[in-house]
Amino acid sequence: MSTPVHTPASGPVGGEPLLELVGASRVFGQEAPVHALRDVTLQVRAGDHLAIIGPSGSGKSTMLGLLGVLDRPTEGAVVVTGHDTAALADDERSRLRGEVIGFVFQQFHLIPYLTALGNVETALCYRGLARAERRERALAALAEVGLADRADHRPVQLSGGEQQRVAIARAIVTEPRLVLADEPTGALDTVNAVLVMDIFARLAQADRALILVTHDPRIAATTNRVVSMRDGRIVSDVAQAPTPFVAEGSGVAP
Amino acid sequence: MSRFRDLLGIAIGGILARKARTLLIMLGPVVGVAAMVGAVGLTESAKGDLKARLDELGTTLITAEAGTAFGRQNPTLPADAVRRVRAIPAVERASAVAEVPGVVTLPSEGGADYFETFPVPVLAADSRLPAVLEVPVRSGRWLDRADRVNRTRAVVLGGGLADEFGLIPGEVRTIRLNGIDYGVVGVLERVPLEPNLDNAVFITQWAAENDFATEGAPTKMYVRAAPGTTEQVDAAIPVAVSLGSSDSVTTRIPSAALEASAQADRTLQQTALFAGLLALAVGGLGIANVMSISVLQRSAEIGIRRALGTTRSLIGLQFLAEALVVGLIGGIAGAVLGVGVVALVSAVAGWVVVIDLAMMPVWIGLAVGVAVLAGLYPSAKAARLEPLETLRLG
Repeated sequence: MSTPVHTPASGPVGGEPLLELVGASRVFGQEAPVHALRDVTLQVRAGDHLAIIGPSGSGKSTMLGLLGVLDRPTEGAVVVTGHDTAALADDERSRLRGEVIGFVFQQFHLIPYLTALGNVETALCYRGLARAERRERALAALAEVGLADRADHRPVQLSGGEQQRVAIARAIVTEPRLVLADEPTGALDTVNAVLVMDIFARLAQADRALILVTHDPRIAATTNRVVSMRDGRIVSDVAQAPTPFVAEGSGVAP
Repeated sequence: MSRFRDLLGIAIGGILARKARTLLIMLGPVVGVAAMVGAVGLTESAKGDLKARLDELGTTLITAEAGTAFGRQNPTLPADAVRRVRAIPAVERASAVAEVPGVVTLPSEGGADYFETFPVPVLAADSRLPAVLEVPVRSGRWLDRADRVNRTRAVVLGGGLADEFGLIPGEVRTIRLNGIDYGVVGVLERVPLEPNLDNAVFITQWAAENDFATEGAPTKMYVRAAPGTTEQVDAAIPVAVSLGSSDSVTTRIPSAALEASAQADRTLQQTALFAGLLALAVGGLGIANVMSISVLQRSAEIGIRRALGTTRSLIGLQFLAEALVVGLIGGIAGAVLGVGVVALVSAVAGWVVVIDLAMMPVWIGLAVGVAVLAGLYPSAKAARLEPLETLRLG
């Protein structure tokens, strides 16, 4: 179990590779180097509904930075939809993020002075879209997360769960092949966590890869593949049958 | 194009999000531009009435007289002086008058003693004089070709003289010149740049030669130069008239004195302008300062935009555009404020408002320039932020 294993999982696994880490390492600092990630190889395909789990300091966040093209490996390669991110200029990596990846963060990171609609529209800026089309698509994404009636509300007027759903709408409005979520329920109560995880369950489609970084085993249980990390290495990579998100002892979930 | 629209939309959104702060940093450009517009406007408007008068009278009239040389009592210009001057390319029109000496003018039978003691100047004039002076006839008509051809004894009075004689417009009136009856055919309006014409009597060249036996050589010439060429024409006239002979010609630009007194107080203007520039510069520092802090506070926003695919340069441009909009709106507001102050002070002080609207784009452009310059540092700082550092993953 100490070597990385990729077991083909049941379900829609086996689509085209969207993302590959090939012997990727990430070292922070030079005088006292911290090896956050050591020689990690991972392949994510369309249809993968992946949980990356592990304790704090296991390298989850570093991994997320690399997978999200927000960071570059010190060694090895990160290949996203066929592009070696190390070979791309900063602007090209920005464009790659905009085209391929949708992000959901623990702290939502909504822009406080924009309405829910404005926040979702932010993802569609600089894409040569007409204002009306941008608005229409953003409204459709908000409807998809059940917040069509909250379009004109600012983040402070929304509950945490609603803010996270706006963030999800922002992540999916560009129709990304890859959705990266970092502890998406970490700042939510159980009721809202259930709502958010319901949406993620719907987002897991055959032509898309969904990656959830979490330390919550209940979230990991909803995925079809679980990658466990420790000390900057992948210690297991197993396929599983997804089960619905269960809120402990709350009786909210079916 | 849509990229530019997106950029501007985001910049304006960012500005509107923090209205109080935006208003504060806008104060710099507002005060700076208002001070500069006010400085120029107030110093110019203080002389506004003189300027307006100068605009009305024009600065293109030049007079030329024969220089007083030793041994000649009544110096005259050459008979063809007008023709010579009109050969100067920049001269638009020229006319000459000849003083007719020794004529006693009587408006009526009475007052002969008075008018013998203080004779009214009699001038032989050509038909072009009002056109050159750009002064209309107040009533009736000017001496024309028909007067010369038909040898009529027609006379036109200067505006001041007509007032003195109590001439009613349209009244049929004769006056006596050395006992010969002349019919008054018109009255010339007063000539502000040449007041001594106001008290003169104008007759034709023929009448001067026939009735008063003068040679009719011109004593004074009036020249209208093309706009902007007054100085050159003024310098060319003596050469053209004397043609290198020793006869000197004296020229004068009657509007020059008025022009000098209409000059705004340059020292005051420059001092106030400098103060305005200083306000603008300090305002620029304010913009740089506040925006730098703003970039720190908005690092999460910058991070998320970067994660969503916005490039470094577009992030930088977004903040630069915010600075630009602040400078633009502040500059326009400052210009409006400055104009308002000038209008208000002028209304109170009874000045004629003089504001050069063509300079407004320059003042506003200056504000925009300073704001953009001030925005360079915070923009570069925003562009340099790493999304990974601002998003606090995990």
